Amino acid sequence: MIFKHRKVLYRVTFVLSVAAVFMLGPLGGTAPGADSSFDPAAMSDMSDFDPNNFQQPEGDTIKLGYLQIMSGAAAGNGELFWPVVTWVAHDINKRGGIMVDGKKKKIEILKGDTQGKPAAARKETERLCLEENVDLLWGTSGSHTAKAIADVAEEYKVPFLNCLSLSDELMNEKNFNRYTFRTLSNTTQWNMALSYYFSKRPETKFSILCQDYMYGHAMADAFKKYLNKYKPEAEIVSEDYHKLWLKDFAPYMTKIMAANPDILYTADWLPDGDNLINQARSMGVNLPIANIYITNPDTLASVGVEGTRNMIFCYSWMSGDTPQTKAQKKLMKEWHEQWKTWEAPYDSLLYIWPDFVVGQTISDTYWLFDVIQRTGTLDPEKIIKVWEDDVYKAIQGVRTMRAADHQAVFDMYVGEATYPTREVYEGAPYSEGYAGVHKVIKIPQKYCTPPVPEGLKDRVE
Amino acid sequence: MIARITPPAWTRWVLPGIAAAILLGYPLVFGTVYTNIFIHFAIFAVFAASLNMLVSYTGLLSFGHALFFGGGAYATALALENIPGMGLFPAIFTGGLAGAAFALIVSPLLNRVRDTAFALLTLALGQLAYMACIKLRDITHGEDGVGGFPIPDLSIPGVVSVSMVPAQNFYYLAIVILGICLLLMWFLTKTPFGSIMIGIRDNPQRVDFLGFNIPLTKCLIFTLSGFFAGIAGSVYALFNNLVTPDGVFHIMTSFTPIMMVYVGGIGTFAGPIAGSGLMTIIEEIATRYTTQLVLFNGILLVLVVMFFRTGFVGLYLLLKQKLFEKESSR
Repeated sequence: MIFKHRKVLYRVTFVLSVAAVFMLGPLGGTAPGADSSFDPAAMSDMSDFDPNNFQQPEGDTIKLGYLQIMSGAAAGNGELFWPVVTWVAHDINKRGGIMVDGKKKKIEILKGDTQGKPAAARKETERLCLEENVDLLWGTSGSHTAKAIADVAEEYKVPFLNCLSLSDELMNEKNFNRYTFRTLSNTTQWNMALSYYFSKRPETKFSILCQDYMYGHAMADAFKKYLNKYKPEAEIVSEDYHKLWLKDFAPYMTKIMAANPDILYTADWLPDGDNLINQARSMGVNLPIANIYITNPDTLASVGVEGTRNMIFCYSWMSGDTPQTKAQKKLMKEWHEQWKTWEAPYDSLLYIWPDFVVGQTISDTYWLFDVIQRTGTLDPEKIIKVWEDDVYKAIQGVRTMRAADHQAVFDMYVGEATYPTREVYEGAPYSEGYAGVHKVIKIPQKYCTPPVPEGLKDRVE
Repeated sequence: MIARITPPAWTRWVLPGIAAAILLGYPLVFGTVYTNIFIHFAIFAVFAASLNMLVSYTGLLSFGHALFFGGGAYATALALENIPGMGLFPAIFTGGLAGAAFALIVSPLLNRVRDTAFALLTLALGQLAYMACIKLRDITHGEDGVGGFPIPDLSIPGVVSVSMVPAQNFYYLAIVILGICLLLMWFLTKTPFGSIMIGIRDNPQRVDFLGFNIPLTKCLIFTLSGFFAGIAGSVYALFNNLVTPDGVFHIMTSFTPIMMVYVGGIGTFAGPIAGSGLMTIIEEIATRYTTQLVLFNGILLVLVVMFFRTGFVGLYLLLKQKLFEKESSR
């Protein structure tokens, strides 16, 4: 009987197969309009992942130079991003690696301590490039140190993923180099998004307190510029810049209290951001703090529910208690379940969720290796060619790498802290004992896409 | 009785010859990373030797020597950033002059105090320069520092023009400049002026009674020391193509040459050079295995102060005495 209707069976099978490709393709493969996608289904079983015991592969590997601050006052930054790069490397290595130059290669990570100082960053980058022969560079906290790394990356023609330094100046016509790609929002994007958000809110008086270097000034300048554009009636009632890695914020808090703003704006990162909020709350400055990096749950828990309520967060990655995509939800669940098994220092609340900068950098690192996979070689010139104008459906939304200035553009997110928060998934509340981000608002690209620097507009035809 | 074994006359030339050959061939053999490490060592050897003029020869412990080093570094960087077409040697000389000028400016203050007060005043001046550098953002670019300034070629018009950007080319320039500085400082210690410096250290009253103007002499020593520290800072600026407050004015930049002097051997000319070499090696090895470099340096300093007060040069001299000088009975 079945042989009688073989032709019909073949036809039905063919039609169903074609239909399946069209219907399921976007879920498992590339998203419509994107050159490539993050595929959550392809993620390895991460139940054996432990950042304290990352298994470095042997033999012919893809060498990633991990450049971060690992000593001194800001050494926490080096620790913070180690689980990020090792997570991605572990996942890819478990899948067998990436096919490059006709061979499957696993990812090896080599550390370089920038000490948060440009001269040390330069020296470590040179060591990684010349002695360790790294294929790729990854970093780093501090725009001034990222600049030093970018210069060496250009000198030795090693692609550099800058997923942590925001200053516009890093990628302007003076400092741009072909080997550096910035996947993080720059100062303009961040402040366009936040200013647009404030244009819809009632507050009008703002105090600015930022770190006294390239990034802090760039952030403050951009905030003033775009606040003036989106909300001309807003007023900056005080503006100060403090030394990096300051211990005593008291004089600044006194001045802010005297200015009586509605919102305190800061772009401080670790450890300054944590010290700032701790001291602000202990001195009775209970204003909402609009920020980018005061996201450490340990710190937020230490200032409690009232200290964190109404804080405003803005970032290029945000989930809070409402993950935006299935991939994001899966990553959060996998990570959170593993976090419960980690030992010190990764057992602290800081690592509880892959949110904000942690989620962002995980996503960016996947993007880097996705580009390498599609390039099929570690030839930097070919990597550049693939990455320029690349459209990637990342874990949270679509990202486009502008060819002209190697700046990624995407939607931004703003969220306000409330308490209690919801469960990210069953049995896993987002925050306990402090207010966390609830109801993430997307700021579409059209409101936060920075202009291409004037001198770079004609760089790529 | 000690009988000295005199080495053959030819050995006087062999060792310097071997040293010169090693220096010439070093970048070709060891490549860029180790060439850069050597340049770093040489810069800090000169910086430490300039401090040694104060600490070992004049008995003045300065905790703020970064003031002159940073002054020289910033002067060179700002000159190259703001004066189009500035030549290489004028840029380096500008750094030296800036170091000397800073020293000259603070010397009236420093002349009024001595011992602990002197050390604390230098510390305060160094920190003042550090904070001023951060706050005068319009001039110094604050914490970001001055970077990306043009590095001039070494050019003799109509004869030759060599780019100083490749590490190997810069290496030869650096060892010549820094070598000349070390020779000049060494020569200074052998002159009558060098004897006055030691006299001020050991018995200032006696030097005063001999008719020498001690404040003026100290002022001159500060200025010379500042000049050489400024030259070291200038070469540092050219080498890194970046100067930042943390890199050149930070308190650790003042403590580093102090440690080099003590670890290498206080009271000797070779001490700070040996100290710079030793600490560079320790830094290079330690940073590959740990991020606790400061802990290593601290332990080393404690050990030297407790057990080898003459430093490693003192240890070397002791060993040399044991090996090359034999005791004989009459």
